[in-house]
Amino acid sequence: MLQMKNVSKVYRTDTVETHALREFSLTVEEGEFVSVTGPSGSGKTTFLNIAGLLEELTGGSYELDGRDISKLNDKERSRVRNEKIGFIFQSFNLIPELNIFDNVDVPLRYRRFDAAERKKRIVDSLEMVGLASRLQHMPAQLSGGQQQRVAIARALAGEPRFLLADEPTGNLDSNMADSVMQLLADINSTGTTIIMVTHELTLADRARRNIFVRDGRVSDSAGNLQLAAAS
Amino acid sequence: MELGPIWRAILRNKGSYLLIALQIAVTMAIMVNAIAIMQERTTKMARPSGTDEDNIITLSSIPFAPDVDVRSMIDEDLAMLRSMAGVRDAFASNSFPLRGGGWSMGLATEPGAGHDGIGTAIYFSDEHAIETFGTSLIDGRNFAHDEISWNDEAVNKWPATGIITSALARELFPDEQGTVVGKTVFINENDPVKIVGILDRLQAPWDGWDHIENAMLVPQRLDNEYMRYLIRTEPGARDALIPLIEEALAKNKDRIIEDVRTMNEVRERSYTGDAAMIKMLSFIVILLTAITGLGIVGLASFSVSRRTRQIGVRRALGATRPAILRYFMIENFIVSSVGILAGGIFAVALNIFMVQAFSLTPLAWYVVPIAMIILWLVGQVAVAGPARRASAISPAIATRSI
Repeated sequence: MLQMKNVSKVYRTDTVETHALREFSLTVEEGEFVSVTGPSGSGKTTFLNIAGLLEELTGGSYELDGRDISKLNDKERSRVRNEKIGFIFQSFNLIPELNIFDNVDVPLRYRRFDAAERKKRIVDSLEMVGLASRLQHMPAQLSGGQQQRVAIARALAGEPRFLLADEPTGNLDSNMADSVMQLLADINSTGTTIIMVTHELTLADRARRNIFVRDGRVSDSAGNLQLAAAS
Repeated sequence: MELGPIWRAILRNKGSYLLIALQIAVTMAIMVNAIAIMQERTTKMARPSGTDEDNIITLSSIPFAPDVDVRSMIDEDLAMLRSMAGVRDAFASNSFPLRGGGWSMGLATEPGAGHDGIGTAIYFSDEHAIETFGTSLIDGRNFAHDEISWNDEAVNKWPATGIITSALARELFPDEQGTVVGKTVFINENDPVKIVGILDRLQAPWDGWDHIENAMLVPQRLDNEYMRYLIRTEPGARDALIPLIEEALAKNKDRIIEDVRTMNEVRERSYTGDAAMIKMLSFIVILLTAITGLGIVGLASFSVSRRTRQIGVRRALGATRPAILRYFMIENFIVSSVGILAGGIFAVALNIFMVQAFSLTPLAWYVVPIAMIILWLVGQVAVAGPARRASAISPAIATRSI
């Protein structure tokens, strides 16, 4: 379970102080598929960064699986990211110099699995996304949709409890986007908790619960996107 | 360890890595051969001259008055010098080790023009020469006072006895198991010289000569303007005696005293070229190594800048800061290793060529491994800064649009 209470995030420079999140509170239960929407600059990505332990919060509390995240050091945060969280990025973020096999292998090596275990997980996860025959391909040899599927396979290979997706269909055409959304729904149906940041309401509507963020706060978490959008 | 993926990533982006590996290889080849040359020069400079260098003073006494009795002047000078407090002994000769100029002749074990002589330096001496040089007689005897004669250029006759170095004895009589004292060698084709003593060591005056360990003392004295005095002092008395000696000799106004030098100064002057070569090569090696190190810093910095997002992604996927640091260190180690191994082969090939073309001493076995370790260390130190910067990249970069 993910629980944020009054989380704030402030970016400071010498002259400017930007409040990206203010008293942000949210609870996501295990197995949920939650979409997070909101206008540009509303704090969606900051929320995702904090939820994914990519950034530290300025104030408030954040518990992941009952563990107070704010007390973890960098090494422990890396370990939590590696073991409990899978990331899917808008621009796929595959490593261009590595083939598909090695790309999916990246988080597994940090997990220190042995070679046989890693290979099994890589093949299984690529089979799940329908790309087991492309192990030796380079990212540049795949379409955008295929690259995002590889990124999903990479996120799933470690069998994370949480999948955090940042505009996962943002760089895809509608057919590919639909196929990726279907894949996410299938993954969620196996019990993986998914939190997806998107600015497309039609995609957000496919989640079981919708969160609307405005000015760094949760504006509506009741699932009424139309109302939130109208406001 | 991510050796496999790192190696494959390097192969897919090998242009810049190849250049830095090539630079390391060239540096390695030059470094190894420069070290070999420096080592050879250092060994050359460290050869003992066979004299008590720390306690010897040399000077020229050049008579200029038309009616001066040179022989008497030399006798009086030497008697005066030997009587000075702190002076152990003194004699006059045509030359001495490391001087750079002297007299050489060929010695043969058979008389006649048909026999190849073995080159040796000739030191005109008296019974004080061995004590003054500070060398030791390991076989036979010293010259007796009544054996000493003045060299008469009109007669041009070589003395009948001589004392040679052990190196010259071995070269003259390579198969002789016993003593060579009492044997006769021939100088100037047919003049017999009976060997009466063997010196442990005494170098010839020319430091670059192949037969530098070959020297012969002859019981004869010169009275020309090329005579030089050698004065051996008691330990610690040398520097204080120099002005006293100059002052004492200057009382005779029929000659001038010049080139007053200690043997230490003579050695320094003799090996000026070698010392300069060592300094120059050291500078080149340090400069090349520094340039290579900077090249690695540049490539690693560029690599970190180019892969900022990738590093952020790796961090997001669970890489710790040490893991990112390790990634760049390993990547550099692999690239350095390729360059170092290629450079090792290149260095040995270059050394073989230089040995054949310029008679350089072959590489000592440990030079290549030492150079490898140095370059590996330089590579790791050079990449440490950029790698540390990489490890500090935030994982949040992964979600930013850059």
